[in-house]
Amino acid sequence: MEYLSSGKILIVDLASSETREEELDEGLISKRIGGAGINNYLYNSYKDYDPIVLGAGILTGTLYPASDLSVLTARSPVTDNVCHCPVTLKAGIEFKYCGFDYLVVLGASAKPVFLWIHDGVADISDGSGVWGKDVWQTTDAWRRDMGDDLIQTLVIGKAGETGSDLAQVSVNYWGSGDVWGFASIFGKKRLKGIAMRGMGLLEIEDPEGFVEESMRLLESVKTGPWKGRSGLYDLLVSLGKNDVADWVAPLVHRNSASYNVPYAGNTFVYLDEDPSLLKEPQGAEPGLLLTSPYGLIAAKDMGLSAMDACRLIRSCLRYGIDPEMVALIASRDAKKRREDIESSMDSLERKGMKPWRPPFSPMVPRQPVFADFGVEGEPGQLEQWWLQRQALAYVFGIDPLFLIMSPELTAQSMIEAVRIGSGIEISEETLDGLVSEICGCN
Amino acid sequence: MGIRVDALKCTGCMACEMACGYHRDDAFALLSSCIVAYRTREKKDYFGVILKEEESLVIARPEGVEVRKIGAAGESGGDSSAKPMLLRESCDLCSGMDAGPMCVRFCPVDAIILE
Repeated sequence: MEYLSSGKILIVDLASSETREEELDEGLISKRIGGAGINNYLYNSYKDYDPIVLGAGILTGTLYPASDLSVLTARSPVTDNVCHCPVTLKAGIEFKYCGFDYLVVLGASAKPVFLWIHDGVADISDGSGVWGKDVWQTTDAWRRDMGDDLIQTLVIGKAGETGSDLAQVSVNYWGSGDVWGFASIFGKKRLKGIAMRGMGLLEIEDPEGFVEESMRLLESVKTGPWKGRSGLYDLLVSLGKNDVADWVAPLVHRNSASYNVPYAGNTFVYLDEDPSLLKEPQGAEPGLLLTSPYGLIAAKDMGLSAMDACRLIRSCLRYGIDPEMVALIASRDAKKRREDIESSMDSLERKGMKPWRPPFSPMVPRQPVFADFGVEGEPGQLEQWWLQRQALAYVFGIDPLFLIMSPELTAQSMIEAVRIGSGIEISEETLDGLVSEICGCN
Repeated sequence: MGIRVDALKCTGCMACEMACGYHRDDAFALLSSCIVAYRTREKKDYFGVILKEEESLVIARPEGVEVRKIGAAGESGGDSSAKPMLLRESCDLCSGMDAGPMCVRFCPVDAIILE
């Protein structure tokens, strides 16, 4: 595979401490495109070895709008289905520029390890120094030890190490769409996480054509109804949660975007600094980045103040546990005080709480946001629409939240971008079949 | 005529950086970009944009824009991840590209303009 790709699959066997590379065959891309499409194929190829698969979309890390996504795929210990977790922020593209399009992690290590992937090199490194550390300490340690603050990480905290099915794989310091307990699979493998840094280069078959098409799409996207809106505040309002938006607003510092995503969907709140501060804060850890509205919504429903809710979410992020589930369980168990919840995180249990419906993460609202997609009719039609938009995102490597805001980013535009950028022709029938397969949980 | 950055509008998406890299390499890469998202203070939510011009580094941060003369006495090196900026080529306003400066064209929130 010559274009929009490094052309390599990395296979890591933790049981034998061996790594090897396979070529990414162009024929595989023609049939399964990328992202979750190829992740599913790799998962099934190695399913006897309890694989975790990390894969980039074929458009990930390009100038196609919102091309931020890589996808983590494994069999969820919560649902017993193969599920997919979106990897956004800057981690999704860092992986693609590391020199591999896909990573398959097999087996379990006898001792704690982490993977250090950089510029086409993969090391299975000793993780004993960070085993037992929380998520923030671990990312800090890896960045410090390897001398690069731009290293991106997928990392677990104590919740994953101890096998909690509420455990969440974190991206750097922040929450992810892992509601599937993937972090506990990392823990069973004695895999503390994956540190990534890449300076790679992606060739383009028709550079001018691809960039012109991306520019044309961006121009049309920029006139969309998301324009002038930003962050979790406007997202919450669009969900009818104006009360939650107003409740957390006094803590909001700034909004930021994942790689190349026009909408700034992440919101940083300051807890230990003045949120209006517009210079570098003195404190090293003044707050946290909120990457989903649902932890906030659940925490407000508990009756917490916005400050206490955000402090609780910060504790969850450090511990590596799904903040929304923690808040829902606390509500179920009638726990009202933040301190009581924080002190009981190691004993929280799902106990009969219904897991989310696979295969895509519910961190993205199951409805159009801001834009009109013409799917306001039957509930089944809305669900089908959501599944299809998510499948497109997870296959091509496009931000799953932005795809429910932007009707301009169509399946046809993605197929065309792949054709211009790589020379690979993908038929609509191939894509439709793949989307159906991915949406139907196996 | 030059590039101007409004750091308070910037969302740190890095589209400018990739667009600049495309101009340099005719491919997608970040290593040659002369405009980069400043994002090493992740836990502090302190981010902006650094642009290398012919004789200066333009550092657009939330508190304002600072122009540092390259090689001037007292110039600090900044973060380890920022140092390679001095080795990169200077902004040429994407000379030779019909669409004009690519960072301007690809900024989704119009935080970068040509003045």
